[in-house]
Amino acid sequence: MFQLTELQHDALAEIFNLGVGQAAAAMSRIVNEEVTMSVPIVAFQNRAEVATTLDSPNERRICAIAQHFEGAFKTKTFLMFLEEKSLELVRLMVGQSLSMEELSEMEQEAMSEIGNIVLNSCMATLANISGRELQGSLPTYHVGTCNDILSHSDKEWDGVVLTLKIDFNIERHEIHGYVAFLLDLPAMNDLRDYIDAYLAKLTG
Amino acid sequence: MLKHSSHELQLPLLSSVIKAVRTGIIVFDQDQRIVLWNRWIEFHSRLKEEAVLGKTFAEVFPDMVNSRTHIALREALANSLASLISQTLHKAPFPLYINAANPDKGVLMQQAVHVMPLDVAGQPRHCLVQISDVSTAVARERKLREMAQELQSQTFVDGLTGIANRRRFDLHLEDEFRRAKRNASPLSLIMIDVDCFKNYNDNYGHQQGDECLTRIANALSSVLHRSRDLLARYGGEEFSVILPETTAEGAERVAESMRTVVEALALEHAYSHAAPHVTVSLGVSTLVPEHSSQTSHLIHTADRALYQAKHAGRNRVVVFSEPNKKTG
Repeated sequence: MFQLTELQHDALAEIFNLGVGQAAAAMSRIVNEEVTMSVPIVAFQNRAEVATTLDSPNERRICAIAQHFEGAFKTKTFLMFLEEKSLELVRLMVGQSLSMEELSEMEQEAMSEIGNIVLNSCMATLANISGRELQGSLPTYHVGTCNDILSHSDKEWDGVVLTLKIDFNIERHEIHGYVAFLLDLPAMNDLRDYIDAYLAKLTG
Repeated sequence: MLKHSSHELQLPLLSSVIKAVRTGIIVFDQDQRIVLWNRWIEFHSRLKEEAVLGKTFAEVFPDMVNSRTHIALREALANSLASLISQTLHKAPFPLYINAANPDKGVLMQQAVHVMPLDVAGQPRHCLVQISDVSTAVARERKLREMAQELQSQTFVDGLTGIANRRRFDLHLEDEFRRAKRNASPLSLIMIDVDCFKNYNDNYGHQQGDECLTRIANALSSVLHRSRDLLARYGGEEFSVILPETTAEGAERVAESMRTVVEALALEHAYSHAAPHVTVSLGVSTLVPEHSSQTSHLIHTADRALYQAKHAGRNRVVVFSEPNKKTG
């Protein structure tokens, strides 16, 4: 499995905390309320491990927002929640409490926007550090098991998955989500280069 | 499709198509100046193409400077990142009107906005903003929501505890009251209130409060065995029990059993004035309805007994008695 030194690992966590900090600021502006986000855990895993992390050995339904990125960093990214958590998050953001069991069409769109904000912010921070250009697609919305979702070009992903645990805090509610990046070998090497560049800048 | 046309023919054709499509299209150049403004936008914004071409985002949409849409535009131009701006979180980002022909009835259009980087050969990156009218979808969803709410209110089951809800209670009480009148039989009502429940919620949180109510409801219903007896959630932390053909003595026994089963749950409640665990107070009232009697009288008297139980220190049963009568 892909290994980083402790220093590189800490730097990566810091980079993503910067990213989600910006996403939280954007979400706060939308709801006019304080939204805070943090990344307590950064890990490199395989697909099966991600499923376990997401608490879905029982094939629980996951709601995911996916985006492709190219350029500085080629990856497919996902913001994922257990389905009931995504309901909670959207309803906190929107301020509606009717308990339908699935996200409605409009709520799905809101969820897509939340994913769009989080994923763009994370990737923009990486792009900034790399000094290279990054292209991002529009978000798409998916519901299914973790295995259904973590695929690329309709194939289940057998490479490395970089996962971030994300804690959202809205109105005294805490909601856990996960961001996953599908990484192939070139992407992993790019990532390591960017981390080193970031560390070099920090240490002057 | 266009393989027979030359490039010279294709360009004006594509340009006409973009002008004509029934969705909003605006293109900004690297300096955020408008270089394309299609007819749909023209119609719904009441701004002519000639008036906006070459102007910047800030000049045309002064109220939207530094809004999420503006930030998305900057991100698309600088970083090549695409953004979605959803109707649910933003309502109407652009000042567009549904019926633009009639400015007096200017209803803002509900929009879904997509902001996408656009590569233009030989030029710095542009940005494409696509706007869809989602008013119909929003209205349809609101209708669905209302219908779901209506359905929910028509059911007879309390969503949290699974026992009968207030609506079912009201109907059942009416039925049993009529029956008791006809048969001249006694009808009893117990009103139950969880002691110091506000303190419980405030200190243990609403989730645990809900859990507590559910366990109490289960315990209370375990005491009832006759088919026409009914336990209902009357309000927040209030329950009520309808006991047909039951005398005051019988109802008091049921109430006392209910008090005991709740106490036996031994749910910790460090903030109660009655006990270190969760307890209930119960008020009992019994009536043999006469011709002019009303259900409200039964509820009122059970409520007064409950009030006395609370006043006397909670965690107890009080049976209502008319002030001019001896307890019976």
